[in-house]
Amino acid sequence: MIPEFHYQVSWRSPGLHPGHHRGAQHGASHEFAGYAFLTANPDPRNLDIRATLHDPFGQLIVRTFRQRSAIPVYVIADLSASMGFRGTTSKTRLLAELTASVAYSAYRTGDLFGFIACDSAIRRDLFLPLRWHKGAAAELLKNLENFRPRGRSSDGLSEVASHLGKQKALVFLVSDFHFSFDRLDTVLKTLVRHDVVPVVLWDSAEFDRLPLWGLIHLKDPETGIRRRLFMRPALREKIRASFAQRREDLERMCTLHGREPFFLKDRFDPDDLTRYFYRA
Amino acid sequence: MNIGFSAPWALLLGFAALIPLLGRGQPAILYSSISILPSDPLSTLLDRVLRFGAAAAALCLSLGIAGPYLSERWVERIGTGAHIVLLLDRSSSMNEDFSGQYLGGRAQETKGAVARKLLAEFVTRREHDLFAMIDFSAAPIYVMPFTQDKQAVLAAIEATSGRGHGATNIAPALAMALDFYSGKPFSGSRIILLVSDGAAQIEEETRDQLRQWFQETQATLYWIYLRNPRSGRLSEKPANPNESTTPEYLLHEYFQSLGVPYRAFEADNPDALQHAIAEVERLENLPLHYLEKLPRQDVSNYCYGAALAFLALLLGAKFLEVKSWPA
Repeated sequence: MIPEFHYQVSWRSPGLHPGHHRGAQHGASHEFAGYAFLTANPDPRNLDIRATLHDPFGQLIVRTFRQRSAIPVYVIADLSASMGFRGTTSKTRLLAELTASVAYSAYRTGDLFGFIACDSAIRRDLFLPLRWHKGAAAELLKNLENFRPRGRSSDGLSEVASHLGKQKALVFLVSDFHFSFDRLDTVLKTLVRHDVVPVVLWDSAEFDRLPLWGLIHLKDPETGIRRRLFMRPALREKIRASFAQRREDLERMCTLHGREPFFLKDRFDPDDLTRYFYRA
Repeated sequence: MNIGFSAPWALLLGFAALIPLLGRGQPAILYSSISILPSDPLSTLLDRVLRFGAAAAALCLSLGIAGPYLSERWVERIGTGAHIVLLLDRSSSMNEDFSGQYLGGRAQETKGAVARKLLAEFVTRREHDLFAMIDFSAAPIYVMPFTQDKQAVLAAIEATSGRGHGATNIAPALAMALDFYSGKPFSGSRIILLVSDGAAQIEEETRDQLRQWFQETQATLYWIYLRNPRSGRLSEKPANPNESTTPEYLLHEYFQSLGVPYRAFEADNPDALQHAIAEVERLENLPLHYLEKLPRQDVSNYCYGAALAFLALLLGAKFLEVKSWPA
């Protein structure tokens, strides 16, 4: 069973399609928008007697409402080789669970869903156009779980914005964010039109559950760089501190661009995501 | 000091030293992004030490397999003495005492025994001399080439204590003694110390030959003549010089004609013999330069030792390796 979570946005959707979120369009709903003459808005069900009596010209006045609209929801996934890291669990598995959950939640909320994956370029084979997808969640789960990321970089992220359409959308930007802050800044700037939720996929094995002593020979799947580390308590603390620092930097940077990041560590819990959206 | 290799082709194995420089032997663990890890100078240093250690181990092993050696060397040594060939008469007459009485092979006061005793003392006193030894009676016996090993020389002198045999035949013994010098650098005084109690005639041809060799080797000849009362003195010209009755005198004359330093000491009692030997000792006390050949020396052990040290380092690192991830 694919778990779902609830999300909300703080902005009005300009979309025409009725949906779950506050919209900008006038229509049938309960959100009071203002008064109009019956002649301009001929719906006698909404006649406002008090306003009519107040009108010095004796015009019949009706109340107008804003409709609730659907919003587009995108998941942009970074599938560069670094996402192939397997620690507590594989990052592709986490990504698959999250994506499936977003797809299903979007379907259940009545929103449109699109999926764009990229490594060094946009991956057409995994692309899912913006639709009301009913069965996409299960399919994504299956496809992504077995995906072996091999991309040498995450350059494709910079091209993504042109594929998102003009309408403001809720965008889940899923990546491990193991790239430079310059790149992050560029990507977030191209997505400035949208409501971006940065989802940071980290694994505690990357920075927390490190061996106390030993020689580790590490290889970077993207750049091919190899490094040998002599693990010792001091170095472990150093790595932990460096990741804590990076986390802080990421939070600061993403907050500057709209939302603070959602850290997805080791295990995907949809309730955490709900809490993220409904925080006070 | 030259270094040689007994199997130089094994040096090609030294190219294996490039392998650890090109890559690390430890299986790599995939990590998401190395560039965001903090830099750690100690790890970098250790990594380099391990890689160069592995390269050095490979080099040392290939060197060791190639079998390096220090090639043989000539070392110049300085002795205060001389090259002395002891030419010891073992004819049967050496078993007599100075008065000419036969005492038997094992007797203590025979001319031979006295000569042996005094020569042994002489050898013991001459710390830095090289001694060689030849016994002779009817034919020369090659006993010992030049050596500084006093024990060996003393043992060789002691070994002549058996009963003497046969006649006195000096010429081949002298030839053999002179042969000891052939091919040796002329680095100090060369002394042939002939201890005998008689003489024999030497053929004309052999005389010329010996004279020539003496002149080539420039050896000094000391003849300690153990005279018995019946024999003539060397200094007195006998009334009727004759090869068969007074060979000693003729031999003395011949030695004088050799053209090399020559002295004869007549000893007709143990004291005189001691004096004669002391006189030789006094005469020959010049420093002697000579070259000693050191055999080639295998140094592959040091290579293997160094390789062992490097491999121990690598082994230690191997035990430290983290094989499973995450911890």
